[in-house]
Amino acid sequence: MKNLFMLTVFFMSSLTSASVDLHEFDSLQQEKRYRHLISILRCPTCQNQNLSDSNSMVSDDLKQIVYEKIRAGASDKEIILFMKQRYGEFILYQPEVSQSNVILWAGPFVFLIGFLILFFVWYNKNKGDVSDD
Amino acid sequence: MSSKFSYWKMTVVVVIFIGFIGLFFWALSHDPRELPSQLINQPVPEFSVVDLLEPEVIHTQSMFNEKITLLNVWASWCAACYSEHPYWNQFTQTSQLQLVGLNYNDKKEKALRFLESQGNPYKKVIFDQSGRLGIDFGVYGAPETFLIGPDARVRYRHVGVVNSKVFATKFKPLINKIKQGF
Repeated sequence: MKNLFMLTVFFMSSLTSASVDLHEFDSLQQEKRYRHLISILRCPTCQNQNLSDSNSMVSDDLKQIVYEKIRAGASDKEIILFMKQRYGEFILYQPEVSQSNVILWAGPFVFLIGFLILFFVWYNKNKGDVSDD
Repeated sequence: MSSKFSYWKMTVVVVIFIGFIGLFFWALSHDPRELPSQLINQPVPEFSVVDLLEPEVIHTQSMFNEKITLLNVWASWCAACYSEHPYWNQFTQTSQLQLVGLNYNDKKEKALRFLESQGNPYKKVIFDQSGRLGIDFGVYGAPETFLIGPDARVRYRHVGVVNSKVFATKFKPLINKIKQGF
């Protein structure tokens, strides 16, 4: 009885893990590129998942497109451009630096340097002046 | 420290505070899930896809030439499309605009059953069974509605249900602009 139960559990667990992609590639290299691309591309519908984690319809279609393009000899750059032309910078988990987002990239460093300068100005001003409050 | 300096400090704090409050209100009024369309003021993608009701008819991007078009992306699996549909049924009776349906990622029988039971407000229905045309349009859900000018360029994309309020506030001003020549 116990064995039968364990057997059932065993087969059920193999059922749940059966949702992996069943794509065939010409080379390991291609498969690696596929895995990489679907991990850096974001699902447009379910915004906190990458394509690889998402089972939404759009993600499945986009994964299929990535696969077909790799098989057809497209470069990673071309595939990313294809996605960006349709879904914008959003599709990339790590957006590229551009005019519209340069403040996000540089902002923290500007703030850090700004605060350091302010701190040293304040520090020099109050040096030796212990009683200040 | 002089009192002048602390006034200055106070002002900075208040300004930053008001700035943050403003930012929060702005963020509240914006849906972070809504993605801007990459096609605004761009020509519609090239395509060649069959009609849902007349499979011998093939639609291409030229169907948008010289007409103001509303392209409504719908599917039988899309729950919100059922609640949106009565609006289009009523819309098509009074509007001069070309209303085109884009049946997205759907099964033919189900799509036909949808139109049979809900009514067919569309002049033409593009049958995008593979969903590839939808992806070329940057569709990420349904319903979505595109406003396309007579130059076959996309002017606006609305994600979600269109009703008379959405139409009046989002679409109407742009349609008037197109009619005036821009």
